[in-house]
Amino acid sequence: MSDVDDKPSEEGGFRPSRRTVLVLGAAAASTVVTIRPALAQTAGSVMTCEIPIPAPSAAGSFISDDGSVVAAGTPGAHPPLARPLKGEEAKQLLQSGIAPPGVDSRSAQAYAQYIRRLQAGMSGFTCFASLQMPR
Amino acid sequence: MAGPRFIADPPEAAKAVALDGLTALYHRPSGLTHILAPPAPQILAALAGKPGDAAEIALRIAAEFELEAEDAEAAIGARLAELEAAGLVRRA
Repeated sequence: MSDVDDKPSEEGGFRPSRRTVLVLGAAAASTVVTIRPALAQTAGSVMTCEIPIPAPSAAGSFISDDGSVVAAGTPGAHPPLARPLKGEEAKQLLQSGIAPPGVDSRSAQAYAQYIRRLQAGMSGFTCFASLQMPR
Repeated sequence: MAGPRFIADPPEAAKAVALDGLTALYHRPSGLTHILAPPAPQILAALAGKPGDAAEIALRIAAEFELEAEDAEAAIGARLAELEAAGLVRRA
């Protein structure tokens, strides 16, 4: 096997420059990355993914009307959601303005703003991104 | 010597786009998109509709490229495991 790359060409041992070198690399190197958009899985994953409001790293913080995370107890801001929002609830909230059970409409709007402001790397973003993709 | 034999779907089952040395590959049967680095696309091409083990793949690729590897079969074997996990090749 070791001589597969040493085949002499018709000129006798000279390697024509048109042959491209292909580095096979180390056995440990990874060469395949599969892109898995959340929606490429099942619709079920959209229903069951969760968006914590706020992210666990900001647990206890309040959410202001514009969706930003503010100190607990800030007047006019909304307390954190007791449980993460399910994907389906977030979808209804964002698309139809339907508040999740037990959430008043003003708080729901603040939470919706919070979700819209989620960025890559923040807890819940992948779930949010999957909700944005067309079915 | 003979390792497991693999086969890939024929070329028309996938749409490949070259991206600055990488290859974006849309695999129609699974609907998944993969980003491949060399030598994965070359291994897929060598197996497209043609079963082969690591040694045969090395020979097929060597027909077009200068292979640079300490142990071509081991390197190809590792890539085959990855490609199998990604669903791009299967045991023949």
